[in-house]
Amino acid sequence: MFLEILTPEKKLYAGEVDSVQLPGTKGLFEILKKHAPIISTLDKGRIRVIERSKRMLYIEIGGGVVESKNERIIVLAEPA
Amino acid sequence: MANLKEIRTRIASVKTTRQVTSAMKMVSAAKLKKAQDAIFRIRPYAEKLHAILDSLSSSLKNTEESVFTQHRTPNRILIVLISSNRGLCGAFNANIAKTAVDLANTKYKEQLISGDIDFLVVGKQGEKQLRLRRMNIVAQANEVFDNLDFETSTMVSNNLMADYADKRYDRIELVYNQFKNAAMQISVTEQFLPVELKQNDEEKDSVYNFIYEPSKEKIVEELIPRSLKIQFYKALADSFAAEHGARMTSMHKATDNATDLIKELTLTFNKARQSAITNEILEVTNGAEALNG
Repeated sequence: MFLEILTPEKKLYAGEVDSVQLPGTKGLFEILKKHAPIISTLDKGRIRVIERSKRMLYIEIGGGVVESKNERIIVLAEPA
Repeated sequence: MANLKEIRTRIASVKTTRQVTSAMKMVSAAKLKKAQDAIFRIRPYAEKLHAILDSLSSSLKNTEESVFTQHRTPNRILIVLISSNRGLCGAFNANIAKTAVDLANTKYKEQLISGDIDFLVVGKQGEKQLRLRRMNIVAQANEVFDNLDFETSTMVSNNLMADYADKRYDRIELVYNQFKNAAMQISVTEQFLPVELKQNDEEKDSVYNFIYEPSKEKIVEELIPRSLKIQFYKALADSFAAEHGARMTSMHKATDNATDLIKELTLTFNKARQSAITNEILEVTNGAEALNG
């Protein structure tokens, strides 16, 4: 899956990932491979990314929206 | 013909001016690069956001209206004029102020006569221009250009949205210079509020069968203010880049003009010098002839 995290001012992350955990408005959820297409708003919180190399990293956001389809995830985030 | 000393000082002073204008040109070129980068960074974000919003709103059957999409009879108008804080950028500010005043004079003629048009200016130069034309300026936000980032821009756009939601204004228009390239700016007028959502029947994203969380309506409601903030930030960034482009071009022209002037002056200087020498020789030979004669 390819993940992109954008803010209006910069690109926070772009790369191939195994899993993304997001602070959705209805609760924390995780997108893995072959997840159904989804659009969800996000709350303030942090995104957990597990990269191909199994490296785990956290990215703080101040809210936003995520769209995921065709193994392509785009997070439009507000700066934290 | 002016005397030699005068011409020499003139040349020196034009040279100094040329140095200043060419330095300003360099500075603007550097700032332009930075401003342009900012635009390029907003673009993918703005495009994606609009794509999501468009596909959502066009598939929304019941248009449960958010406060920002509500249409009201345009009684009170706010025109937001984005100009620059500094001058020396050609007709940049004059043009954009003219566009704003024209908008008030044509589209909102009735409101102008009844005094229901307010202006919010960003940039000291635009403020000056509007004062000259006796427009009603209610507020200014000149300081956003001191350090242009999303946060400062958001403070201004939040105020605009609050004004609209409180029904202080029925329509808000944005007037700014769009950045085309370094030598070209386009004066544009955009309706900021109310938001016009696209309403087409074909559902483009239906093939994907998206899961919407919490719900389509909630997402649209959430995304509208966000897209407004982006629209405003984009307008500011565009105008900022356009300003530096305009300044770079006008300083480039000024430098060229100074170079031409120096050339001309040097020519006059040499002519004057030559004729002075000729005169001196004539005097010497005449004197010698008078002695010999």
